[in-house]
Amino acid sequence: MSESMDSNHDTTPEWERLARGAAGGERDVDLEPELQRELLTFQLDGTHYAIAVERVREIIRLREITPMPRVPDCILGVVALRGEIVQVLDLRERLGLASSEPTRRTRIIVLHGEDDRVTGIQVDAVRDVLRVAEQDVDASGDNAGAAVAELCRRDNDFVSIIDLDQVLDFNDG
Amino acid sequence: MAARKSSAKKAGVDKAQREFVAEAEEILERMREDLGELSDQRVAGAEVDPDLVNSIFRSAHSLKGLAGMFGFEGLSELAHRLEDILDGLRLGRIRMDNPAVDLLDEAVTLFTALFTQLGDESYEAEAATRIGELVARIETAAEDPSQPQDSLDPLDIAPMLLRALTEYEEHRLRENISRRRHVLLVDTSFEITAFEEGLSEVSAAIREVGEVVSTLPSPGDAPESQIRFSLLVATETPAADLSARLEFPDTDIKTVLAATAAPAESSAAPQPPVEASAAQSGGAEAAPAETGSGEVPGDGATGKGGARGGDLESLKSISDTVRVDIHKLDKLMNLVGELVIQRSAIARIATRLAADPTTSRIAAELFKTHKGLDRKLKELQASVLDVRMVPLRQIFEKLSRVVRRLQRDQSKDVNLGFSGEATELDKLIVEQLVDPLMHVVRNAFDHAIEGEDERVSAGKSREGNIWIDASQRGNHVVIEVRDDGRGIDPTAVREKAEAAGLVEPGQLLSDKDCLNLIFEAGLSTATGVSGTSGRGVGMDVVRTNLSDLGGIVVVSSEPGRGTAITMTLPITLAIIQTLIVAVGRDRFAIPLNSVLETLLIDASEIQRSERRELLNVRGEPLQLQRLSDEFGLDAPPQDRHYVVVLGLGELRLGLLVDRLDGQQDTVIKSIQGPAAQVRGIAGATELGDRGAVLVIDVSAIVEDSLRRRDAA
Amino acid sequence: MQRILIVEDSATMRSLLASTLEELASPVKVLAASNGFEALRLLPREEFDLVVTDINMPEINGLELVSFVKSNDQYRDIPLIIVSTEGSEKDREKGMQLGADAYVVKPFEPEALREVAQDLLSRNPVAK
Repeated sequence: MSESMDSNHDTTPEWERLARGAAGGERDVDLEPELQRELLTFQLDGTHYAIAVERVREIIRLREITPMPRVPDCILGVVALRGEIVQVLDLRERLGLASSEPTRRTRIIVLHGEDDRVTGIQVDAVRDVLRVAEQDVDASGDNAGAAVAELCRRDNDFVSIIDLDQVLDFNDG
Repeated sequence: MAARKSSAKKAGVDKAQREFVAEAEEILERMREDLGELSDQRVAGAEVDPDLVNSIFRSAHSLKGLAGMFGFEGLSELAHRLEDILDGLRLGRIRMDNPAVDLLDEAVTLFTALFTQLGDESYEAEAATRIGELVARIETAAEDPSQPQDSLDPLDIAPMLLRALTEYEEHRLRENISRRRHVLLVDTSFEITAFEEGLSEVSAAIREVGEVVSTLPSPGDAPESQIRFSLLVATETPAADLSARLEFPDTDIKTVLAATAAPAESSAAPQPPVEASAAQSGGAEAAPAETGSGEVPGDGATGKGGARGGDLESLKSISDTVRVDIHKLDKLMNLVGELVIQRSAIARIATRLAADPTTSRIAAELFKTHKGLDRKLKELQASVLDVRMVPLRQIFEKLSRVVRRLQRDQSKDVNLGFSGEATELDKLIVEQLVDPLMHVVRNAFDHAIEGEDERVSAGKSREGNIWIDASQRGNHVVIEVRDDGRGIDPTAVREKAEAAGLVEPGQLLSDKDCLNLIFEAGLSTATGVSGTSGRGVGMDVVRTNLSDLGGIVVVSSEPGRGTAITMTLPITLAIIQTLIVAVGRDRFAIPLNSVLETLLIDASEIQRSERRELLNVRGEPLQLQRLSDEFGLDAPPQDRHYVVVLGLGELRLGLLVDRLDGQQDTVIKSIQGPAAQVRGIAGATELGDRGAVLVIDVSAIVEDSLRRRDAA
Repeated sequence: MQRILIVEDSATMRSLLASTLEELASPVKVLAASNGFEALRLLPREEFDLVVTDINMPEINGLELVSFVKSNDQYRDIPLIIVSTEGSEKDREKGMQLGADAYVVKPFEPEALREVAQDLLSRNPVAK
């Protein structure tokens, strides 16, 4: 869990660049006229998931997480991030998947937050940024309000697009 | 205001209303500054800066919208009148020497006074009268000689651009044309992802020689990636010269209207809007005297506020003072905090170097440097803290005004006495202290002080007395509100508490414990209490407010003789010294200003009484709370424990932990995330080499533990 | 989920508008800009189904924003509500001429604003 302080401050540069670029910095590729979405894909319990790239602030390696009392089980605790204290969510637990020990590839995706609600989500591994045309995205068919609201095709596979607002909302218990 | 309103309104509304008051205060502050500036410009006889008038207009406009939204009709009405005057001014319908302009200061002063009393029912009738009077005066003062306006159509401007001009911008355009300035259209394109910097450079360059009347965005040649701005510019510089000044790519300048005659000033004049205009100065200076308001605004030191409104707040401006946004101070404080962490890193390096004989000499020098740095950092920290400190005097003055008004309204004679008004507290704390303190004083006035006859027959002086004493004790400030009223009868409180199910019949409680039940939600909101106990509703809110500030409140009373409510608050919320404690693998920081002492004890010394654990400390029983129980932590059984004795006012609690891990200066940061608000955790802090450490909310832990004891 | 962009320089008004619109019958995501510049930056980032803007704002005023949205092929179909205080009839007229779809007077009745917003949102079949 505790790599040395200096090395685990490193971000993964190419992901960060991808995420930042898409989140409003320099866009190196012009948008094509058809509507496109950019998704950051990652792995969780052997399955591919995705979130909207513009919600991603940065991706960091796993660092020491300080557990917090009196929070739901899926909150792993808090990390210190350049002076900010940010809660980290265990996405496996939140989605009801089997839990597992962190590995070398485990990452924390730090999301932009409205009203100072920056949040980290821990995933098994980050994969890449996927551009999909709007028409290739389908509703998942799950009940409204489910964490996975949409699916998109990728080659012969499906990627589940996570509804972050749903996942980060703890008010409904 | 939380104390007053929370029972009546939904929490959401309350929060919005708090935001409203906060924003309104900011707006008023800005208006005061702008009006001061305006008055300076008028006195100097200059052409008044249109941006300034527009800024004041926008302030009044926002106030009107906000007040209307929250149903404060009087405030909204007054803001509306202000807006009318300012709208007239900025659109050139009203001249600067109109007597109504002199009522602007007065209106802002009245606003400020009304805001401090917002929600105070007894004041609202009076407020309505005052607003009515002022509105009437404004109406008489301002007549509205509308001028016929020339059409702008002959100008060579795209209709799209003309149509997007607000009425104000149209006026500015006409004004500039009548002053015979060139009207130019500057077209400039940027990448959509990074337009702001470029645009503000272009605008700034133009503002050096003229006025940007309007900025119209439109899609660029490649609409997905580019954005174009058309700036309508009025200037005395011809297009060719401006073009030479603006060395930006993709920027075209076109003359829309060439000035027909040479302007009076040379084109080198850097700020056209403030050029001297002799024609107006006479009128501007003469005007204030005519209204009989007494003072000519403008000697800088006293010109801003104008204390014309009777006992309304006088707004002094002190020339050698700088106003600072408290958030800037927060930032400074955070920086200091981070320096402190860096300093600890130096100490660690020095320790490592010292361990090696070959580098021990360098280590010694580094230690010396570290010590010097430490001293300077402490000074820096103290100075920054000092800037945040404000004396309690302002609150006390506010309280005086409230009591004076209550006396008038209720014809009840009560003296209010103060001591310790120079005691200083963090600005943020002072702001949040106003409401609970006001509430306590009002309760004393309304409920504790008896009527005249009752007082005389009890052998007391005819008029009642309330004293407020403030003093600093270490890192805390203690504020005590005492009265010589009827006091609180602990037996009566107890009966109410039993009836409300807060206390079991027969449960052993000292008189003191009984009295402090008035802060329980279930009891203090029970209306029956106010009559018999001499204390009104809402004391639970007072306790909550104080606990949010890391403080506590206790009551003591002698039936028939009087009551004292004592509030204990930390001096500052910024950098604090913390004690790092550990339970198993978990570490926490405890603010040192709440730690009285630490004890190392044997597990066998802990005594159990019913479900509580106690420790005998120098003959006194100290209630213990295991941190592992409080937070559900894994704690391997231990033979020895550390007891951190927490003290909050008169309350004591011994927190049982496994280890002590030293002291640290820390900046408490709020936790961000979806489940960030946790009872018992005040925030977190970053420890140089050890990641995040949670900071314990001592007042919550102490209160919860003692409440559990009382409930048990 | 439909997306709404609020452009308003008063923080209080912003949060009031947001909380009012968040209570629409259909679920919506509300984003807020505190001035015209921010709005220009947000517009290309999200696909908005409705823009709600104030008129009197620093930098770029609401009319200029309306003009931008309605003269831009990418955005012209986004319905637009102007929320501004009464008494600025001329500005209101101009806003409507520039292509704003509705005008709501401040102080607004939350229910009235929701009605106008819901109506405009349901008229726009592109969103899903």
